[in-house]
Amino acid sequence: MDRNRIYLLAAAGLGAVVVAVVLIIVGIGGGSSGTTTNDGALVLPTPSLAGIPQHGDILGKPSAPVTVQVFEDPQCPYCREWNVDTLSSVVANYVKTGRIKLQYRGIEIISANSVDGLRAIYAAAQQNKLWQMVDALYARQGEENSGWITPDLIKTAATVAGADPAKIASATSSAAVNTMLKDSVDAAKAAAIGGTPSFVVQRPPALPTQLQLAGLDPASFAAALNTVLQ
Amino acid sequence: MRLRASIAAAALIGGAIAAYLTYVHYSHTVPICVSGGCETVQKSKYAELDGVPVALLGLIAYVALIATTVIRGIVPVFASVLIAFVGVAFSGYLLWAQLGPIGAICQWCVGNDVVIAIVAILCVVRMLTEPTPAE
Repeated sequence: MDRNRIYLLAAAGLGAVVVAVVLIIVGIGGGSSGTTTNDGALVLPTPSLAGIPQHGDILGKPSAPVTVQVFEDPQCPYCREWNVDTLSSVVANYVKTGRIKLQYRGIEIISANSVDGLRAIYAAAQQNKLWQMVDALYARQGEENSGWITPDLIKTAATVAGADPAKIASATSSAAVNTMLKDSVDAAKAAAIGGTPSFVVQRPPALPTQLQLAGLDPASFAAALNTVLQ
Repeated sequence: MRLRASIAAAALIGGAIAAYLTYVHYSHTVPICVSGGCETVQKSKYAELDGVPVALLGLIAYVALIATTVIRGIVPVFASVLIAFVGVAFSGYLLWAQLGPIGAICQWCVGNDVVIAIVAILCVVRMLTEPTPAE
């Protein structure tokens, strides 16, 4: 057997290991975006929710003719991406102007730890701070299935969200939270939601329509939404 | 010739899997799945490399592997082994991610793991046995 071929084979193996390690490092480093605060949490460029009516899981004017249900899992990286990249423009162009209202629909897609987050989120809804709580959790989103949604993290997120952490802790297992969780699961089943984030537009008396998105960026979302709103 | 055809055929299968997953990624559709974890894997942070879907990188790699089978000489042979080895190493990393942090298995990824392993073996055999034009 040609010895040079053996050397080339060894060189290819070595080169492959180097390339693979670089790719893995890039992959690990590129997993999240955004700037970081002193406490290590990401600051999301979310809209200022101040002045926008918020009641329970609804964000926007109650009179808005169209409801957009937002199906999310707090552990889902793509949900976070949508919140980071697109929510601001949706709030500014559609919610603030009274064209639509958003309804948060939290469902477990990743693992049971998601439910811990969802309970905290729906507990914050009791204080009309659901959307801030969603934001605060995404700002601290950790590795999927790593158990990052801990009582301590919920407490910190609740404080940042401007909610009362003690009230959130006591409300996570309340009947109201259980009902909201069940409503979300039922809504997901009714809309045949297969993953997150998903968006369902409802303008009575028309039947709910799931948004068909070309991407999660603001332009793609606006294009899909405008098609349904026409 | 038969060895190169085998590599091209296996790479074609791998390329088809990668092309499907690339389509799923960009169309934001749900992949056909019997293992139950495809969507979880596809939507995990491991499905992208600095914003680029790993499925697209896989597709590019398989196209490059097919290209190496139509050219004779030691350079394309070396390139095919290098690409296949990188593929095996990175597939191993993604398999670890599925079994560990993600906690879900995607049948398409496992299928790709098998294909790239076969391609790597065939590429090694080709390197050790194929005569160069000068030989």
